[in-house]
Amino acid sequence: MKNLTLFIIVVFQSFFAISQDLTADEIIKNSEEKYRGKSSKITMTVTIERPKWSREMTLTSWNKGNDYSISVITAPAKDAGSVMLKREKEIYNYVPSIERVIKLPPSMMMQNWMGTDLTNDDLVRETSMVEDYSAKLMGVESIENREAYKIELNPKPEAAVVWTKVIIWIDKKEFLQLKTEFYDEDDFLVNTFIGKDIKEIGGRILTSKMEVIPADKPGNKTIMQYNNIEFDIDIEESFFSTQNMKKIR
Amino acid sequence: MILKLAWRNLWRNKRRSFITIASILFAVLFVVFMRAFQLGSYEAMTRGVVNMYTGYAQIHLNGYWDDQTLDNVMPYRESFEDSLLKVDGVKSVIPRLEGFALSSFVDKTKGTLVIGANPEKEKEILKIEELLFDGEVISSADNQIMISEGLADYYKMSVKDTLVLLGQGYHGMSAAGKYAVKGIIKFRNPTLNQNTVIMSIPQAQWFFSTGNQVTSLILEKEEFTKVETLVADVSKKIDLNTFEVLDWKTMLPELVQSIEADNVGGVIMAFILYMIIFFGIFGTILMMTAERKYEFGILISIGMKRIKLGMVILYEIVFLGIIGVLSGYLLVYPLIIYFYINPVRFEGEFAKTFEDLGFEPIIPTSLDPAIPITHALIILIIALVLSIYPNLKIQHLKPTEARRL
Repeated sequence: MKNLTLFIIVVFQSFFAISQDLTADEIIKNSEEKYRGKSSKITMTVTIERPKWSREMTLTSWNKGNDYSISVITAPAKDAGSVMLKREKEIYNYVPSIERVIKLPPSMMMQNWMGTDLTNDDLVRETSMVEDYSAKLMGVESIENREAYKIELNPKPEAAVVWTKVIIWIDKKEFLQLKTEFYDEDDFLVNTFIGKDIKEIGGRILTSKMEVIPADKPGNKTIMQYNNIEFDIDIEESFFSTQNMKKIR
Repeated sequence: MILKLAWRNLWRNKRRSFITIASILFAVLFVVFMRAFQLGSYEAMTRGVVNMYTGYAQIHLNGYWDDQTLDNVMPYRESFEDSLLKVDGVKSVIPRLEGFALSSFVDKTKGTLVIGANPEKEKEILKIEELLFDGEVISSADNQIMISEGLADYYKMSVKDTLVLLGQGYHGMSAAGKYAVKGIIKFRNPTLNQNTVIMSIPQAQWFFSTGNQVTSLILEKEEFTKVETLVADVSKKIDLNTFEVLDWKTMLPELVQSIEADNVGGVIMAFILYMIIFFGIFGTILMMTAERKYEFGILISIGMKRIKLGMVILYEIVFLGIIGVLSGYLLVYPLIIYFYINPVRFEGEFAKTFEDLGFEPIIPTSLDPAIPITHALIILIIALVLSIYPNLKIQHLKPTEARRL
């Protein structure tokens, strides 16, 4: 079904050069679905770059729809086994060395995750761009020689998000998130996400590498490299349980 | 000749000289005594605060003090420690690895300061052995911890209970662990007592994943070495691009400021005392000038130069000043030394407040020679300034009128 829509869109665009037929909401939705699928298993390497040092870790995550996600760190040895679980609106953290499951309050969602430039929220993607923001199409711009929709997102009044403005550039052809800018309440740029290395992964054309660049810390960067993605895997909701956090490897 | 005249003049009217000397003597006595106590209390306070946690000086990786994170640790090498110990005045070098973590026991949590410390070396500063409240002191091979009494009280924990620690270590590594409590320490510093966890340095290095690194090296000085000289000597030995050497004045600006604020009060008090002294001495000089008007008149009439007469009076006042100051010393020094050896000791409630803050409830005096010297000089200057008055009188004296009684 989705492939059909995609096909129609592509056909549509080839007929009308500046197609405005897709609404901003639809573009975002297409893009989110492309990255998320119905369910997925992702292994990735996260590299933290700092002016004086850098560090790498690997993790595996399982996702089902928008509501369920579990990710476990597999390396380095000292952090291995540390698990983050998201069930609907609740986030849990399991640390094996202290054998404790910790429920993260919403106030902690914007804190850095494991010393990276990512927030806990970025990791589990609690907020949904479609549900929590209202989107506005700003036009079409070229990013790295690719035509991209420029869309401005503003949080809906009832949404529990911190950004007052998000600008996202989504590739016209493949709905790839090429670049995202996050602005705080004073309209200052805080973070920039850049999608790179477009290639087929898990049967889909995706940006296999994402760089997170905080605006106020020169030389700091976090790189997420997708090593492998399996889309639409068979996975039960019961997999995403606090009990399973202790068993998962 | 003039000196001799002045000296004889002093003893011509013993009572008048004695009154002037006495007023100077008491001035010296009061001011020096007061300042000795005040500066002595600052010294005691500094010693108390500095010897409680920070030490007189510390070495860190350059930039650690402004950004106290575990990413700013420095390698810990025996050879480096040995080279520091060779510096004159360095009594001991105490390594420490400090960080923060969230602690948890049953259903409570609290942010805690985690100190990786060597109990053996901390004898003078953290005094882990001396302040042991319950249980045992950890050894460097231990994977158990010690907690402060306030923290134990908050969690209602006792020895052998297990505390969970969770935090962030070196380069964003996760720092998490469960630790059995081996001992409880009752720190005198209330802040330290409320939320401190002590573990051995190797254990803290593992917990924070720092490898063989520490955050600070504390320098203990020999008793009579000045901190400034110590810092200067150590700075010459180490690479200041890589490391920083900070003395307690940089590390504890609040203490320096509170001492300065209090000191201003002391200086104002001294100033008021000096005003009183000034007018006291002025009074006696005024009296003397009036009394000796007739004498001055005669002397000028029989041909003594006014300048020379003025000199005589000046010398007289300088003599009085010196005698007053010296006899003041003779009186005040035994007092200061007595109170240095047997400082004023508070008792009861007031003493308890002191002890709670980690100070001994005493006020000793300061033996700093700068105190009597500066104040003696000030009093001599006052005497000199005051000698202008009789001189002016002499310059404008009309012998004919002066001789008329």
